[in-house]
Amino acid sequence: MELVFENWELLFQGAYYTLYIAVISMFFGLFIGIAVALARLKGNRPVRWAARVYVSVIRGTPALVQIVIVYYGLVDYGITLGPLTAACIALSVNIGAYLSEAIRGAILSIPKGQTEAALATGMTSWQAMRRIVLPQAARVAIPPMGNTFIGMLKETSLVSFIAVPELLRSAQLLIARYYVNMPFYIGIAIMYWVMSTVFSAILEAVEKRLSKAY
Amino acid sequence: MTMIVTKELSKTYHDNEVLKGIDLEVRQGEIVVLLGPSGSGKSTLLRCLNGLETLTKGAIEINGVRLEAGMKNRAFKNNLLNIRKQTGMVFQQFNLYPHKTALGNVIESLLIVKKMPRAQAEQLGMKMLERVGLADKRDAYPSKLSGGQQQRVAIARALAMEPDILLFDEPTSALDPELVGEVLDVMRMLAREEGMTMLVVTHEMSFARNVANRVLFMDGGVIVEENDPETFFGQPKTERAQRFLNKINQH
Repeated sequence: MELVFENWELLFQGAYYTLYIAVISMFFGLFIGIAVALARLKGNRPVRWAARVYVSVIRGTPALVQIVIVYYGLVDYGITLGPLTAACIALSVNIGAYLSEAIRGAILSIPKGQTEAALATGMTSWQAMRRIVLPQAARVAIPPMGNTFIGMLKETSLVSFIAVPELLRSAQLLIARYYVNMPFYIGIAIMYWVMSTVFSAILEAVEKRLSKAY
Repeated sequence: MTMIVTKELSKTYHDNEVLKGIDLEVRQGEIVVLLGPSGSGKSTLLRCLNGLETLTKGAIEINGVRLEAGMKNRAFKNNLLNIRKQTGMVFQQFNLYPHKTALGNVIESLLIVKKMPRAQAEQLGMKMLERVGLADKRDAYPSKLSGGQQQRVAIARALAMEPDILLFDEPTSALDPELVGEVLDVMRMLAREEGMTMLVVTHEMSFARNVANRVLFMDGGVIVEENDPETFFGQPKTERAQRFLNKINQH
């Protein structure tokens, strides 16, 4: 276990990359998720269809396959991405699909009367969506989105496969250096667990606040 | 002056014809009550008048703005928004925005649709809350208000847009009996005001009898009988209306 503490710097750097990838992917995934949810609910037929195919393909294929397609696959078409960029793109696209489902469900959970009341006072359907439906849907969507984020935090370990120096990759580097496995694996497992637990606690606090609001 | 005209207005859901060619004219300032058994098409007719339901056949004209079945997109959208600005609607389930205070509910469309500065909107909003007797509830969220209070806020919200026409879709049907009175009082007050045109779908017979200028009795998607309230309740012409009134009087 000593070796783990001695190499804390590299492991913390790994944890930093893990968090960085998760947060960036969540951020861009959120935009994708909102756009895709609205496309499925409000788009015309081809747009709805395209959004459905996107969600179905992403949810129906392994994240690791999506990552290697972005990193290795795109090279065939002259698009060479750094591992970190490729990781963020692949995971943003991945999480976007899951978030879009959470957001779509939340929008659908808002009673139709809310939109009708807004329309009846002269709002356009876009104004009604933006001012009346989305603010209420956001509250509904926060718990499932938080869980998706915590899932993403663990998914990031997949990008060790394309040599992004995140937590799992850092451990693998140290293992190659010292020829011992268990302490490093146990060490990073604990670090993943601490990070997930912290975010779970934050999420729980947020949910408690939300339930008190109006 | 004619405020509302419908011409052979029909509405079909799937294969179910809910409205079968309604011809109606309402003058400015008229208080019209729509009566009839459930499923007779009263609410659908009301919802067609501000475009919450699309028209299957026929046309409506609200204050000179026309909406026709099968109208092309751009013209349709413009006229639809125009019509909605001239009509206010009060719903059975109130449909207040739960994430906004009473005042926030009232001024939302002043800010968003009319682009009114906030201070001016709040001033107008408070005036509307005063009219329905709820000025002291300005900062209360809907969840903290009784059903009757919620419906009065919803009326204030509709009034704030200064519509020429108010549509009431069973405004007291979701209320506890002891809260019905306060909402009807507000509606009576509005009915006494000069020039407000009101269409009310309700089961409150005393309101229909005392406040309406005209009663429309609907059944099976058509207007079966049209009369002044005294005649309608005293000597209904049609056998269908007689049966309806008998049933109600039994309770």
